[in-house]
Amino acid sequence: MNTHSWQFIAFVATCVWYLSTQAGRLDRLHHRIDVAQAALDTHLARRAGIVAEIASSDAFDLVTAAMLAQSAHDALSSGELEEDHRREAESDLTNVLCAALDDVDELDLTDSVQRALMAELQQICGRVVMSHQFHTDAVTDCVKIRRQFLVKVLFLAGRAPMPKALDFQDQVPAALAK
Amino acid sequence: MRIGIVCPYAWDIPGGVSAHVHDLAIALNRLGHEVSVLAPAENDEALPSFVQSSGKPRAVRYNGSVARLSFGPVTALRVSKWIEEGQFDVLHVHEPLAPSISVLACWSAKGPIVATWHSSMDRSRVLLSLVKLARTAMEKISARIAVSDAALTTLREHIGGDALIIPNGVDISSFDNAKPLEGWPGDGKALVFLGRVDEPRKGLEILINAYPAIRAKNPNIRLLIAGPGDCSELVSTLSTENAASVTQLGMIDDDQKATVLASGSLYIAPNTGGESFGIVLLEAMATGTPVVASNLAAFSRVLREGHAGMMFNNEDSSSLAAAVNKLLQDESAQQKLTAAGHARAAQFDWSIVAHQIVEVYESVRVEGTVVEPDLTGQMLGRLGKFRITPEREEIE
Repeated sequence: MNTHSWQFIAFVATCVWYLSTQAGRLDRLHHRIDVAQAALDTHLARRAGIVAEIASSDAFDLVTAAMLAQSAHDALSSGELEEDHRREAESDLTNVLCAALDDVDELDLTDSVQRALMAELQQICGRVVMSHQFHTDAVTDCVKIRRQFLVKVLFLAGRAPMPKALDFQDQVPAALAK
Repeated sequence: MRIGIVCPYAWDIPGGVSAHVHDLAIALNRLGHEVSVLAPAENDEALPSFVQSSGKPRAVRYNGSVARLSFGPVTALRVSKWIEEGQFDVLHVHEPLAPSISVLACWSAKGPIVATWHSSMDRSRVLLSLVKLARTAMEKISARIAVSDAALTTLREHIGGDALIIPNGVDISSFDNAKPLEGWPGDGKALVFLGRVDEPRKGLEILINAYPAIRAKNPNIRLLIAGPGDCSELVSTLSTENAASVTQLGMIDDDQKATVLASGSLYIAPNTGGESFGIVLLEAMATGTPVVASNLAAFSRVLREGHAGMMFNNEDSSSLAAAVNKLLQDESAQQKLTAAGHARAAQFDWSIVAHQIVEVYESVRVEGTVVEPDLTGQMLGRLGKFRITPEREEIE
Protein backbone atom coordinates (compact mmCIF):
# COMPACT_ATOMS: atom_id res chain seq x y z
CA MET A 1 0.00 0.00 0.00
CA ASN A 2 1.21 3.50 -0.68
CA THR A 3 1.74 6.28 1.86
CA HIS A 4 -1.61 7.92 1.05
CA SER A 5 -3.67 4.92 1.90
CA TRP A 6 -1.76 4.48 5.20
CA GLN A 7 -2.41 8.07 6.01
CA PHE A 8 -6.07 7.56 5.18
CA ILE A 9 -6.28 4.48 7.40
CA ALA A 10 -4.57 6.32 10.23
CA PHE A 11 -6.99 9.22 9.80
CA VAL A 12 -10.02 6.96 9.86
CA ALA A 13 -8.68 5.07 12.87
CA THR A 14 -8.13 8.33 14.75
CA CYS A 15 -11.64 9.49 13.91
CA VAL A 16 -13.16 6.20 15.08
CA TRP A 17 -11.13 6.31 18.28
CA TYR A 18 -12.13 9.92 18.95
CA LEU A 19 -15.81 9.27 18.29
CA SER A 20 -15.85 6.17 20.43
CA THR A 21 -14.29 8.01 23.37
CA GLN A 22 -16.86 10.79 22.98
CA ALA A 23 -19.62 8.20 22.94
CA GLY A 24 -18.11 6.59 26.03
CA ARG A 25 -18.03 9.93 27.83
CA LEU A 26 -21.65 10.55 26.96
CA ASP A 27 -22.61 7.15 28.25
CA ARG A 28 -20.86 7.77 31.56
CA LEU A 29 -22.38 11.23 31.95
CA HIS A 30 -25.87 9.92 31.28
CA HIS A 31 -25.24 7.23 33.86
CA ARG A 32 -24.14 9.85 36.38
CA ILE A 33 -27.31 11.84 35.74
CA ASP A 34 -29.44 8.73 36.27
CA VAL A 35 -27.73 7.96 39.58
CA ALA A 36 -28.03 11.58 40.72
CA GLN A 37 -31.70 11.68 39.80
CA ALA A 38 -32.43 8.41 41.58
CA ALA A 39 -30.74 9.80 44.71
CA LEU A 40 -32.65 13.07 44.46
CA ASP A 41 -35.93 11.24 43.97
CA THR A 42 -35.29 9.10 47.07
CA HIS A 43 -34.56 12.16 49.21
CA LEU A 44 -37.62 14.01 47.94
CA ALA A 45 -39.87 11.04 48.69
CA ARG A 46 -38.34 10.79 52.17
CA ARG A 47 -38.86 14.51 52.71
CA ALA A 48 -42.54 14.29 51.76
CA GLY A 49 -42.91 11.25 54.01
CA ILE A 50 -41.48 13.07 57.01
CA VAL A 51 -43.60 16.15 56.33
CA ALA A 52 -46.70 13.93 56.28
CA GLU A 53 -45.66 12.45 59.63
CA ILE A 54 -45.03 15.87 61.12
CA ALA A 55 -48.39 17.07 59.82
CA SER A 56 -50.12 14.33 61.76
CA SER A 57 -48.10 14.85 64.94
CA ASP A 58 -49.83 17.87 66.54
CA ALA A 59 -46.69 19.97 66.11
CA PHE A 60 -48.64 22.58 64.13
CA ASP A 61 -52.01 24.23 64.21
CA LEU A 62 -54.79 22.63 62.18
CA VAL A 63 -54.48 24.86 59.09
CA THR A 64 -50.69 24.50 58.79
CA ALA A 65 -50.95 20.77 59.38
CA ALA A 66 -53.57 20.48 56.63
CA MET A 67 -51.42 22.48 54.21
CA LEU A 68 -48.38 20.35 54.98
CA ALA A 69 -50.31 17.10 54.64
CA GLN A 70 -51.87 18.19 51.35
CA SER A 71 -48.59 19.33 49.77
CA ALA A 72 -46.76 16.22 50.96
CA HIS A 73 -49.50 14.10 49.43
CA ASP A 74 -49.32 16.07 46.15
CA ALA A 75 -45.54 15.66 45.98
CA LEU A 76 -45.80 11.91 46.55
CA SER A 77 -48.53 11.36 43.99
CA SER A 78 -47.46 13.53 41.04
CA GLY A 79 -45.39 11.12 39.02
CA GLU A 80 -41.82 11.48 37.84
CA LEU A 81 -39.39 14.35 38.33
CA GLU A 82 -39.30 15.00 34.57
CA GLU A 83 -42.94 16.06 34.71
CA ASP A 84 -43.68 19.71 35.34
CA HIS A 85 -46.48 19.16 37.83
CA ARG A 86 -44.28 16.94 40.00
CA ARG A 87 -41.64 19.67 40.23
CA GLU A 88 -44.35 22.25 40.90
CA ALA A 89 -45.60 20.02 43.70
CA GLU A 90 -42.07 19.81 45.15
CA SER A 91 -41.69 23.61 44.93
CA ASP A 92 -45.06 24.00 46.64
CA LEU A 93 -44.00 21.65 49.40
CA THR A 94 -40.79 23.66 49.88
CA ASN A 95 -42.75 26.91 50.02
CA VAL A 96 -45.31 25.57 52.48
CA LEU A 97 -42.47 24.21 54.64
CA CYS A 98 -40.70 27.55 54.54
CA ALA A 99 -43.89 29.35 55.51
CA ALA A 100 -44.53 26.92 58.35
CA LEU A 101 -40.97 26.99 59.63
CA ASP A 102 -39.89 30.57 59.07
CA ASP A 103 -39.31 31.16 62.75
CA VAL A 104 -38.07 28.45 65.06
CA ASP A 105 -38.97 30.43 68.18
CA GLU A 106 -42.67 30.09 67.43
CA LEU A 107 -42.33 26.35 67.47
CA ASP A 108 -42.76 24.78 70.86
CA LEU A 109 -41.48 21.26 70.52
CA THR A 110 -41.86 19.62 73.89
CA ASP A 111 -42.52 16.20 72.46
CA SER A 112 -39.36 14.12 71.86
CA VAL A 113 -40.96 12.39 68.87
CA GLN A 114 -41.62 15.77 67.25
CA ARG A 115 -38.07 16.90 67.93
CA ALA A 116 -36.73 13.73 66.35
CA LEU A 117 -38.94 14.25 63.30
CA MET A 118 -37.80 17.85 63.00
CA ALA A 119 -34.12 16.80 63.21
CA GLU A 120 -34.76 14.24 60.49
CA LEU A 121 -36.48 16.88 58.36
CA GLN A 122 -33.52 19.21 58.78
CA GLN A 123 -31.15 16.46 57.64
CA ILE A 124 -33.22 15.47 54.65
CA CYS A 125 -33.73 19.08 53.50
CA GLY A 126 -29.95 19.49 53.45
CA ARG A 127 -29.58 16.30 51.42
CA VAL A 128 -32.22 17.46 48.92
CA VAL A 129 -30.31 20.71 48.34
CA MET A 130 -27.02 18.85 47.85
CA SER A 131 -28.30 16.11 45.56
CA HIS A 132 -30.25 18.68 43.53
CA GLN A 133 -27.00 20.61 43.06
CA PHE A 134 -25.08 17.45 42.11
CA HIS A 135 -27.76 16.55 39.56
CA THR A 136 -27.54 20.01 38.01
CA ASP A 137 -23.72 19.71 37.84
CA ALA A 138 -24.02 16.39 36.01
CA VAL A 139 -26.53 17.83 33.54
CA THR A 140 -24.27 20.82 32.85
CA ASP A 141 -21.31 18.52 32.13
CA CYS A 142 -23.39 16.36 29.81
CA VAL A 143 -25.05 19.18 27.88
CA LYS A 144 -21.62 20.66 27.15
CA ILE A 145 -20.73 17.54 25.14
CA ARG A 146 -24.18 17.04 23.66
CA ARG A 147 -23.92 20.49 22.08
CA GLN A 148 -20.69 19.65 20.22
CA PHE A 149 -21.17 19.73 16.45
CA LEU A 150 -19.96 16.19 15.67
CA VAL A 151 -21.88 14.70 18.55
CA LYS A 152 -25.08 16.28 17.23
CA VAL A 153 -24.52 15.48 13.56
CA LEU A 154 -23.46 11.86 14.11
CA PHE A 155 -26.17 11.09 16.70
CA LEU A 156 -23.51 9.90 19.16
CA ALA A 157 -26.00 10.16 21.99
CA GLY A 158 -28.41 7.85 20.18
CA ARG A 159 -32.02 8.36 21.14
CA ALA A 160 -31.28 9.58 24.64
CA PRO A 161 -33.24 12.80 25.24
CA MET A 162 -31.25 15.96 25.94
CA PRO A 163 -30.85 16.04 29.73
CA LYS A 164 -32.47 18.95 31.51
CA ALA A 165 -31.81 20.50 34.88
CA LEU A 166 -34.72 19.79 37.20
CA ASP A 167 -35.92 23.20 38.14
CA PHE A 168 -37.73 23.46 41.46
CA GLN A 169 -37.47 25.29 44.78
CA ASP A 170 -35.37 23.39 47.27
CA GLN A 171 -34.27 25.84 49.94
CA VAL A 172 -34.00 24.74 53.56
CA PRO A 173 -36.58 26.49 55.79
CA ALA A 174 -35.09 29.29 57.89
CA ALA A 175 -35.79 27.55 61.17
CA LEU A 176 -33.86 24.47 60.03
CA ALA A 177 -30.99 26.17 58.24
CA LYS A 178 -28.48 26.02 61.02
CA MET B 1 -22.83 2.39 54.77
CA ARG B 2 -19.86 0.75 53.00
CA ILE B 3 -17.37 3.41 52.00
CA GLY B 4 -14.25 2.98 49.87
CA ILE B 5 -11.67 5.73 50.30
CA VAL B 6 -8.70 6.23 47.97
CA CYS B 7 -5.62 8.02 49.26
CA PRO B 8 -3.11 8.86 46.49
CA TYR B 9 -0.09 9.46 48.74
CA ALA B 10 1.99 6.94 50.67
CA TRP B 11 0.24 5.78 53.82
CA ASP B 12 3.36 5.30 55.94
CA ILE B 13 4.88 8.73 55.33
CA PRO B 14 3.22 11.56 57.24
CA GLY B 15 1.46 14.07 55.04
CA GLY B 16 -1.65 16.22 55.04
CA VAL B 17 -3.77 14.11 52.72
CA SER B 18 -2.92 10.72 54.23
CA ALA B 19 -3.50 12.10 57.73
CA HIS B 20 -6.87 13.44 56.57
CA VAL B 21 -7.84 10.05 55.14
CA HIS B 22 -6.66 8.23 58.27
CA ASP B 23 -8.69 10.43 60.61
CA LEU B 24 -11.72 10.46 58.32
CA ALA B 25 -11.70 6.65 58.17
CA ILE B 26 -11.58 6.39 61.95
CA ALA B 27 -14.27 9.04 62.46
CA LEU B 28 -16.54 7.30 59.93
CA ASN B 29 -15.96 4.04 61.72
CA ARG B 30 -17.03 5.65 64.99
CA LEU B 31 -20.21 6.81 63.28
CA GLY B 32 -20.90 3.15 62.46
CA HIS B 33 -19.83 2.94 58.82
CA GLU B 34 -17.67 0.27 57.22
CA VAL B 35 -14.57 1.79 55.66
CA SER B 36 -11.86 0.40 53.40
CA VAL B 37 -8.91 2.59 52.42
CA LEU B 38 -6.70 1.99 49.37
CA ALA B 39 -3.30 3.67 49.54
CA PRO B 40 0.28 3.15 48.40
CA ALA B 41 2.44 1.73 51.20
CA GLU B 42 6.12 0.90 51.69
CA ASN B 43 5.43 -1.80 54.20
CA ASP B 44 2.32 -3.95 53.85
CA GLU B 45 2.60 -5.58 57.25
CA ALA B 46 2.45 -2.39 59.28
CA LEU B 47 -0.92 -1.32 57.83
CA PRO B 48 -4.02 -1.08 60.01
CA SER B 49 -6.76 -3.60 59.15
CA PHE B 50 -8.89 -1.11 57.21
CA VAL B 51 -6.09 -0.16 54.80
CA GLN B 52 -5.15 -2.07 51.66
CA SER B 53 -1.92 -1.41 49.82
CA SER B 54 -2.00 -0.49 46.13
CA GLY B 55 1.74 -1.16 45.80
CA LYS B 56 5.00 0.53 46.66
CA PRO B 57 5.08 4.30 46.21
CA ARG B 58 7.61 6.13 44.02
CA ALA B 59 8.95 9.57 44.80
CA VAL B 60 7.78 12.20 42.33
CA ARG B 61 8.29 15.94 42.39
CA TYR B 62 4.81 17.34 42.13
CA ASN B 63 3.18 20.62 43.09
CA GLY B 64 6.45 21.94 44.50
CA SER B 65 7.04 19.09 46.91
CA VAL B 66 8.08 15.47 46.84
CA ALA B 67 5.01 13.25 46.67
CA ARG B 68 5.02 9.51 47.03
CA LEU B 69 2.54 8.13 44.55
CA SER B 70 1.95 4.77 42.98
CA PHE B 71 1.10 3.74 39.46
CA GLY B 72 1.87 0.99 36.98
CA PRO B 73 0.00 -2.05 35.61
CA VAL B 74 0.04 -3.94 38.92
CA THR B 75 -1.39 -0.92 40.67
CA ALA B 76 -4.15 -0.55 38.07
CA LEU B 77 -5.14 -4.18 38.60
CA ARG B 78 -5.15 -3.84 42.36
CA VAL B 79 -7.37 -0.77 42.12
CA SER B 80 -10.02 -2.48 40.02
CA LYS B 81 -9.89 -5.61 42.15
CA TRP B 82 -10.37 -3.53 45.30
CA ILE B 83 -13.40 -1.82 43.75
CA GLU B 84 -14.88 -5.13 42.63
CA GLU B 85 -14.47 -6.80 46.00
CA GLY B 86 -15.43 -3.75 48.03
CA GLN B 87 -19.10 -3.52 47.02
CA PHE B 88 -19.03 0.09 48.21
CA ASP B 89 -22.10 2.27 48.51
CA VAL B 90 -19.91 5.30 47.90
CA LEU B 91 -16.39 5.71 46.53
CA HIS B 92 -14.50 8.68 47.97
CA VAL B 93 -11.31 9.69 46.13
CA HIS B 94 -8.87 12.26 47.44
CA GLU B 95 -6.83 14.71 45.39
CA PRO B 96 -8.14 13.34 42.07
CA LEU B 97 -5.73 15.48 40.04
CA ALA B 98 -2.62 13.78 41.41
CA PRO B 99 -1.32 11.32 38.77
CA SER B 100 -2.08 8.36 40.94
CA ILE B 101 -4.55 5.74 42.13
CA SER B 102 -7.28 8.34 42.73
CA VAL B 103 -7.66 9.02 39.06
CA LEU B 104 -7.28 5.29 38.30
CA ALA B 105 -10.07 4.54 40.75
CA CYS B 106 -12.36 7.05 39.00
CA TRP B 107 -11.49 5.47 35.69
CA SER B 108 -12.30 1.98 36.79
CA ALA B 109 -15.46 2.64 38.77
CA LYS B 110 -19.06 3.41 38.00
CA GLY B 111 -21.58 4.70 40.53
CA PRO B 112 -21.69 7.36 43.25
CA ILE B 113 -18.21 8.92 43.45
CA VAL B 114 -17.27 11.74 45.82
CA ALA B 115 -13.97 13.60 45.38
CA THR B 116 -12.08 15.89 47.75
CA TRP B 117 -9.64 18.57 46.55
CA HIS B 118 -6.88 19.37 49.04
CA SER B 119 -4.15 21.46 47.43
CA SER B 120 -4.04 24.89 46.10
CA MET B 121 -1.78 24.91 43.09
CA ASP B 122 -0.95 27.24 40.26
CA ARG B 123 -1.57 26.22 36.70
CA SER B 124 1.28 23.93 35.80
CA ARG B 125 2.12 21.99 32.69
CA VAL B 126 1.98 18.61 34.34
CA LEU B 127 -1.38 19.27 35.83
CA LEU B 128 -2.88 20.64 32.61
CA SER B 129 -1.86 17.62 30.56
CA LEU B 130 -3.31 15.49 33.28
CA VAL B 131 -6.53 17.47 33.36
CA LYS B 132 -7.13 16.66 29.70
CA LEU B 133 -6.35 13.01 30.30
CA ALA B 134 -8.35 12.82 33.45
CA ARG B 135 -11.37 14.69 32.11
CA THR B 136 -13.25 11.46 31.65
CA ALA B 137 -12.53 10.48 35.21
CA MET B 138 -13.54 13.92 36.49
CA GLU B 139 -16.84 13.71 34.66
CA LYS B 140 -17.78 10.64 36.68
CA ILE B 141 -17.49 12.42 40.00
CA SER B 142 -20.97 13.01 41.41
CA ALA B 143 -20.06 15.31 44.28
CA ARG B 144 -17.06 17.52 44.82
CA ILE B 145 -15.67 18.72 48.12
CA ALA B 146 -12.89 21.26 48.59
CA VAL B 147 -11.15 21.55 51.95
CA SER B 148 -10.59 25.27 51.61
CA ASP B 149 -11.25 28.33 49.45
CA ALA B 150 -7.80 27.89 47.93
CA ALA B 151 -8.52 24.29 46.97
CA LEU B 152 -11.85 25.39 45.50
CA THR B 153 -10.06 28.02 43.40
CA THR B 154 -7.71 25.34 42.07
CA LEU B 155 -10.67 23.17 41.13
CA ARG B 156 -12.49 26.03 39.42
CA GLU B 157 -9.44 27.07 37.42
CA HIS B 158 -8.46 23.62 36.27
CA ILE B 159 -11.70 21.83 35.55
CA GLY B 160 -14.45 24.37 36.19
CA GLY B 161 -17.62 23.87 38.16
CA ASP B 162 -18.29 24.22 41.83
CA ALA B 163 -17.81 22.32 45.07
CA LEU B 164 -18.90 22.26 48.67
CA ILE B 165 -16.37 23.50 51.18
CA ILE B 166 -15.89 21.11 54.08
CA PRO B 167 -12.71 21.87 56.04
CA ASN B 168 -10.19 19.43 57.41
CA GLY B 169 -10.87 17.91 60.80
CA VAL B 170 -8.72 17.50 63.87
CA ASP B 171 -9.01 14.67 66.38
CA ILE B 172 -9.11 16.97 69.38
CA SER B 173 -9.17 14.13 71.92
CA SER B 174 -5.73 12.84 70.88
CA PHE B 175 -4.16 16.29 71.24
CA ASP B 176 -5.77 18.13 74.11
CA ASN B 177 -4.23 16.01 76.86
CA ALA B 178 -0.80 15.60 75.26
CA LYS B 179 2.18 15.53 77.65
CA PRO B 180 5.37 17.30 76.53
CA LEU B 181 8.69 15.47 76.11
CA GLU B 182 10.68 15.00 79.31
CA GLY B 183 12.29 18.34 80.20
CA TRP B 184 10.52 20.39 77.52
CA PRO B 185 9.83 23.27 77.03
CA GLY B 186 11.92 23.99 80.14
CA ASP B 187 12.58 27.29 81.93
CA GLY B 188 14.31 28.92 78.97
CA LYS B 189 11.26 28.36 76.70
CA ALA B 190 11.32 26.41 73.44
CA LEU B 191 10.18 26.73 69.84
CA VAL B 192 8.85 23.80 67.82
CA PHE B 193 9.01 23.25 64.06
CA LEU B 194 7.23 20.29 62.46
CA GLY B 195 7.37 19.36 58.78
CA ARG B 196 9.63 18.08 56.02
CA VAL B 197 12.87 19.89 56.75
CA ASP B 198 14.33 19.49 53.25
CA GLU B 199 11.35 21.08 51.55
CA PRO B 200 11.84 24.81 50.93
CA ARG B 201 8.15 25.72 51.06
CA LYS B 202 7.90 24.44 54.62
CA GLY B 203 10.10 27.41 55.48
CA LEU B 204 12.61 25.99 57.99
CA GLU B 205 15.23 28.30 56.50
CA ILE B 206 13.16 31.37 57.47
CA LEU B 207 13.08 30.14 61.05
CA ILE B 208 16.81 29.32 61.15
CA ASN B 209 17.59 32.81 59.83
CA ALA B 210 15.37 34.37 62.50
CA TYR B 211 16.85 32.22 65.26
CA PRO B 212 19.94 34.32 66.14
CA ALA B 213 17.73 37.40 66.70
CA ILE B 214 15.40 35.33 68.90
CA ARG B 215 18.38 33.91 70.88
CA ALA B 216 19.70 37.42 71.40
CA LYS B 217 16.54 38.34 73.34
CA ASN B 218 15.95 34.91 74.88
CA PRO B 219 19.43 33.52 75.59
CA ASN B 220 18.24 30.18 77.00
CA ILE B 221 15.65 29.34 74.36
CA ARG B 222 15.84 26.01 72.54
CA LEU B 223 14.57 24.85 69.16
CA LEU B 224 12.98 21.46 68.51
CA ILE B 225 12.86 20.31 64.87
CA ALA B 226 10.80 17.28 63.91
CA GLY B 227 10.12 15.89 60.46
CA PRO B 228 11.69 13.74 57.77
CA GLY B 229 14.83 14.93 55.98
CA ASP B 230 18.26 16.20 56.98
CA CYS B 231 18.70 19.79 58.10
CA SER B 232 22.25 19.65 59.52
CA GLU B 233 23.48 21.89 56.70
CA LEU B 234 20.93 24.58 57.58
CA VAL B 235 21.70 24.30 61.27
CA SER B 236 25.45 24.55 60.61
CA THR B 237 24.92 28.12 59.35
CA LEU B 238 24.24 29.05 62.99
CA SER B 239 27.00 29.88 65.46
CA THR B 240 28.25 26.91 67.51
CA GLU B 241 26.45 28.12 70.62
CA ASN B 242 23.13 28.66 68.80
CA ALA B 243 23.44 25.36 66.94
CA ALA B 244 23.97 23.56 70.24
CA SER B 245 20.49 24.65 71.37
CA VAL B 246 18.84 22.98 68.38
CA THR B 247 17.47 19.45 68.81
CA GLN B 248 16.64 17.41 65.72
CA LEU B 249 14.23 14.53 66.18
CA GLY B 250 14.08 13.38 62.54
CA MET B 251 10.94 11.66 61.33
CA ILE B 252 8.36 11.11 64.05
CA ASP B 253 5.27 8.91 63.98
CA ASP B 254 1.73 10.11 64.51
CA ASP B 255 1.65 9.13 68.17
CA GLN B 256 4.63 11.38 68.91
CA LYS B 257 3.18 14.35 67.06
CA ALA B 258 1.01 15.56 69.93
CA THR B 259 3.90 15.16 72.37
CA VAL B 260 6.23 17.15 70.14
CA LEU B 261 3.67 19.92 69.61
CA ALA B 262 3.06 20.12 73.35
CA SER B 263 6.82 20.40 74.01
CA GLY B 264 7.11 23.96 72.73
CA SER B 265 6.30 27.28 74.32
CA LEU B 266 5.39 28.33 70.80
CA TYR B 267 4.74 26.43 67.59
CA ILE B 268 6.29 28.08 64.54
CA ALA B 269 4.80 27.63 61.02
CA PRO B 270 7.07 29.57 58.63
CA ASN B 271 5.58 27.93 55.48
CA THR B 272 6.08 30.05 52.39
CA GLY B 273 3.22 28.82 50.19
CA GLY B 274 1.36 25.90 48.64
CA GLU B 275 -0.62 25.34 51.84
CA SER B 276 -4.34 25.14 51.36
CA PHE B 277 -5.35 24.65 54.95
CA GLY B 278 -2.82 24.20 57.75
CA ILE B 279 -4.12 21.33 59.82
CA VAL B 280 -0.95 21.19 61.91
CA LEU B 281 -1.79 24.67 63.23
CA LEU B 282 -5.09 23.32 64.55
CA GLU B 283 -3.28 20.35 66.08
CA ALA B 284 -0.80 22.61 67.85
CA MET B 285 -3.67 24.78 69.06
CA ALA B 286 -5.47 21.69 70.36
CA THR B 287 -2.44 20.80 72.52
CA GLY B 288 -2.55 24.32 73.95
CA THR B 289 0.66 25.56 72.32
CA PRO B 290 0.26 29.09 70.90
CA VAL B 291 0.97 29.33 67.16
CA VAL B 292 3.14 31.81 65.28
CA ALA B 293 2.54 31.44 61.54
CA SER B 294 3.33 33.17 58.25
CA ASN B 295 0.44 35.25 56.93
CA LEU B 296 -0.60 32.90 54.11
CA ALA B 297 -4.29 33.23 53.25
CA ALA B 298 -5.01 29.71 54.45
CA PHE B 299 -3.25 30.22 57.79
CA SER B 300 -4.88 33.57 58.30
CA ARG B 301 -8.29 31.95 57.97
CA VAL B 302 -7.45 29.16 60.40
CA LEU B 303 -6.05 31.66 62.90
CA ARG B 304 -9.03 34.00 62.40
CA GLU B 305 -6.81 36.83 61.12
CA GLY B 306 -4.58 36.59 64.15
CA HIS B 307 -7.21 36.19 66.90
CA ALA B 308 -6.28 32.56 67.49
CA GLY B 309 -2.55 32.81 66.77
CA MET B 310 0.20 35.30 65.98
CA MET B 311 1.03 36.08 62.34
CA PHE B 312 4.18 37.44 60.67
CA ASN B 313 5.03 38.56 57.13
CA ASN B 314 5.62 35.59 54.86
CA GLU B 315 9.29 34.85 54.01
CA ASP B 316 10.42 37.61 56.38
CA SER B 317 12.81 36.31 59.05
CA SER B 318 13.02 39.61 60.93
CA SER B 319 9.24 39.83 61.11
CA LEU B 320 9.17 36.29 62.52
CA ALA B 321 11.85 37.12 65.09
CA ALA B 322 9.95 40.24 66.15
CA ALA B 323 6.67 38.32 66.51
CA VAL B 324 8.29 35.58 68.60
CA ASN B 325 10.18 38.01 70.84
CA LYS B 326 7.06 40.07 71.44
CA LEU B 327 4.94 37.05 72.31
CA LEU B 328 7.56 35.42 74.58
CA GLN B 329 7.69 38.57 76.70
CA ASP B 330 3.94 38.70 77.21
CA GLU B 331 2.73 35.85 79.40
CA SER B 332 -0.93 36.94 79.34
CA ALA B 333 -0.97 37.18 75.54
CA GLN B 334 0.30 33.60 75.41
CA GLN B 335 -2.46 32.45 77.74
CA LYS B 336 -5.05 34.29 75.66
CA LEU B 337 -3.80 32.61 72.48
CA THR B 338 -3.85 29.21 74.17
CA ALA B 339 -7.51 29.66 75.10
CA ALA B 340 -8.52 31.14 71.75
CA GLY B 341 -6.57 28.46 69.88
CA HIS B 342 -8.24 25.71 71.84
CA ALA B 343 -11.69 27.05 71.11
CA ARG B 344 -10.87 27.48 67.42
CA ALA B 345 -9.52 23.93 67.11
CA ALA B 346 -12.67 22.48 68.70
CA GLN B 347 -14.72 23.80 65.77
CA PHE B 348 -12.80 21.44 63.51
CA ASP B 349 -13.17 18.24 65.50
CA TRP B 350 -13.47 15.20 63.25
CA SER B 351 -16.82 14.16 64.73
CA ILE B 352 -18.30 17.37 63.32
CA VAL B 353 -16.48 17.25 59.99
CA ALA B 354 -17.13 13.54 59.33
CA HIS B 355 -20.83 14.09 59.91
CA GLN B 356 -20.90 16.73 57.18
CA ILE B 357 -19.09 14.37 54.81
CA VAL B 358 -21.58 11.58 55.52
CA GLU B 359 -24.37 13.97 54.52
CA VAL B 360 -22.66 14.33 51.14
CA TYR B 361 -22.43 10.53 50.80
CA GLU B 362 -26.10 10.26 51.67
CA SER B 363 -27.08 12.81 49.07
CA VAL B 364 -25.36 10.98 46.19
CA ARG B 365 -25.93 7.34 46.95
CA VAL B 366 -28.90 5.29 45.92
CA GLU B 367 -30.25 2.53 48.12
CA GLY B 368 -29.62 -0.88 46.57
CA THR B 369 -26.88 0.11 44.12
CA VAL B 370 -23.14 -0.21 44.71
CA VAL B 371 -20.04 1.13 43.00
CA GLU B 372 -19.23 -1.23 40.13
CA PRO B 373 -16.08 -1.81 38.10
CA ASP B 374 -16.16 -0.03 34.73
CA LEU B 375 -14.47 -1.98 31.94
CA THR B 376 -14.18 0.79 29.36
CA GLY B 377 -12.72 2.97 32.05
CA GLN B 378 -10.07 0.41 32.85
CA MET B 379 -8.96 0.29 29.23
CA LEU B 380 -8.80 4.06 29.10
CA GLY B 381 -6.92 3.95 32.36
CA ARG B 382 -4.22 1.82 30.80
CA LEU B 383 -3.98 4.19 27.85
CA GLY B 384 -3.63 7.04 30.27
CA LYS B 385 -0.75 5.42 32.10
CA PHE B 386 1.37 5.25 28.97
CA ARG B 387 1.02 8.95 28.65
CA ILE B 388 1.62 9.80 32.28
CA THR B 389 4.84 7.87 32.59
CA PRO B 390 7.10 9.92 30.26
CA GLU B 391 5.72 13.11 31.76
CA ARG B 392 6.76 11.84 35.16
CA GLU B 393 10.29 11.00 34.13
CA GLU B 394 10.67 14.40 32.58
CA ILE B 395 10.08 16.17 35.85
CA GLU B 396 12.08 13.84 38.06
